[in-house]
Amino acid sequence: MLLPWEYGIRNLARRPVRTSLTLVAMTTVVVLILVVVGFVRGLERSLSVSGDREVVLVYSINSAENIENSSIAAQTPRLLTASLSGIWKRFGVPHVSPELYMGIRVGVVDSNRAADLHDRTNTEAVSESDALGLVRGVTSQAPLVRRDVRILSGDWPGPNEVMVGELAAAKLGLPANQIVVGNTLEFESQQWRISGTFSAGGSAYESEIWCNLPDIQSATKRQDLSLVAIRLPPGGSSAEAELFCKERIDLEIQAIRETQYYGGLQQHYGPVRHLAWMVVILVAAAGFFAGMNMMYGAVSGRVREIATLQAMGFRRIAIVVSLVQEGVLLAATASLIAGGIALLFFRGVAIRFTMGAFPLEIDGVAILIGSCVGLVLGALGAMPPAFKALRQSVAVGLKSI
Amino acid sequence: MALVELSHVSKRFTKGDETIVPLDDVCLAIEAGEFVSLMGPSGTGKSTLLNLVAGIDRPDSGQIIVAGTEITDLSRSRMADWRAQNLGYIFQTHNLIPVLTAYENVELPTLLLKLKASERRQRVELALEAVGLADRADHYPRQLSGGQEQRIGIARAIVSHPKVVVADEPTGSLDGQTSEQIQTLLQRLNQELGITLLMVTHDREVAGIAKRQLSLDQGRFRETNVRMQPNEIASR
Ligand SMILES: Nc1ncnc2c1ncn2[C@@H]1O[C@H](COP(=O)(O)OP(=O)(O)O)[C@@H](O)[C@H]1O
Ligand SMILES: [Mg+2]
Repeated sequence: MLLPWEYGIRNLARRPVRTSLTLVAMTTVVVLILVVVGFVRGLERSLSVSGDREVVLVYSINSAENIENSSIAAQTPRLLTASLSGIWKRFGVPHVSPELYMGIRVGVVDSNRAADLHDRTNTEAVSESDALGLVRGVTSQAPLVRRDVRILSGDWPGPNEVMVGELAAAKLGLPANQIVVGNTLEFESQQWRISGTFSAGGSAYESEIWCNLPDIQSATKRQDLSLVAIRLPPGGSSAEAELFCKERIDLEIQAIRETQYYGGLQQHYGPVRHLAWMVVILVAAAGFFAGMNMMYGAVSGRVREIATLQAMGFRRIAIVVSLVQEGVLLAATASLIAGGIALLFFRGVAIRFTMGAFPLEIDGVAILIGSCVGLVLGALGAMPPAFKALRQSVAVGLKSI
Repeated sequence: MALVELSHVSKRFTKGDETIVPLDDVCLAIEAGEFVSLMGPSGTGKSTLLNLVAGIDRPDSGQIIVAGTEITDLSRSRMADWRAQNLGYIFQTHNLIPVLTAYENVELPTLLLKLKASERRQRVELALEAVGLADRADHYPRQLSGGQEQRIGIARAIVSHPKVVVADEPTGSLDGQTSEQIQTLLQRLNQELGITLLMVTHDREVAGIAKRQLSLDQGRFRETNVRMQPNEIASR
């Protein structure tokens, strides 16, 4: 037979200060775990949804995995269209997207001050706070290949206009209300009006700024491309494109399925993930000691009481279970509070990193991991003190003060 | 057969080089319904004996049979189950659980018995009435006086209708008047409810309330007030 629940619950209230401190410590631990797990899952998700199996990327052979460094000849799309039979076509239009992709300093033009200055001095606006942005020059073919792209507000960019992804502001480290339709960005010594915003199904494009390919080419005085994205027919094979790139050594290009490309990037971020898991383990260990310390304190003041319960006929296992209940109860409360905090304050918070930005993914899995770790901490933390209390014989325990 | 039978029981403790033998080949028989007091100066092994009868300690040699069960052979968890069914323990300091109310404290041992909720409630209420504290059921131990706490402790010891109730210095931490109340209560429990009691005390006066008085000296019993045939009952 087990001890009543109330016994465990009221025991927690017996030393309110210590219990509250432990609750705070455990809550902090679980919040940290939730954030780290959310970070890892956000990173993984951003990279995994970024790949489309039926899209092949063709880019320079010299740029390893970094497409920003890739430079390929401007006629590559024409060559590919002419040479490859396996490119998806509709209404005679091959689904091929030539793109120029770069990380450059992007500033935002302060619209209020611009208006202000215009009135009086007729001087152009001052651009401020420049951060590294990801700019992609595309043609009207892009949406044929990048099918996840959806315009959320405004329009596709016209001349010297840009369309910004949902997470572009986060990537730039700017408040979201500055990167809205009608505002102006500045990069490559030119001003670009924001014509629209877009989403891309959670993929990496959401942190990008898209403009028309000829505009960015002239602004940067480049005639080349970074890559060509090709859409294959449903279930199509990338073998033909790969073979073509291998045979045309003179073009110095390579072809790779987009899924494979992002898979490679995920591996690239392997150390980050390992580090994150290390943090989870260290933080969890801290929580374990907090819980154990509290339970040691609780048990050491209760030696005679525990002996009394045994003298009455409660088995040792009943006492262990009751102490574990106490620990788990506290941990469950901590997990609940932590889950609330994480969902309220951290869910979807955008994290900037070199590849772009991604939201913290505090999803079911993160909550599950966080709560499980919390509960295990509570249970494990209570065990050493429980066993310590039961090592002593009942007769000796009864004599203790 | 007597309710409690100790035959040739020895218990020794070793502290470093020193060996203490509080019980040296003792024999004792207690019949159902008896009220036995065990007297002796501090440190003579009274509590040790009580704990052996209560099944919370084991002898080094000898046999202890209580209510037909040879308790020296039981495993630790069987022993716990046996205590729940057969034994009530009254402590020197009441040892009530501070986070439980008087009612909940008394109810605790009944949770170890297979009882219907209504039966359980009835038993707890009867036990509280027997010690005259039915009106304090909802009080926490800190809201009770020392004497009341001990009475709740007694109610807890009798609530599961044990075969034997042991009491280790039940009045040891109470003042004179309260001590007398407890003594009267113990006497009543024995006379009116027929509860078999083994009480340890170092106080001659308290020992006097028992019908049969033993004292422990140098590891052996001495019958100080023999009612029954001496050869049948006690001491070697
Ligand atoms: N667990 C133990 N370890 C060592 N010595 C003990 C232990 N328990 C009791 N003793 C010793 O045994 C003797 C009898 O103890 P106890 O039965 O508590 O005496 P009493 O209850 O008569 O005062 C004492 O000398 C005490 O020091
Ligand atoms: Mg004693």
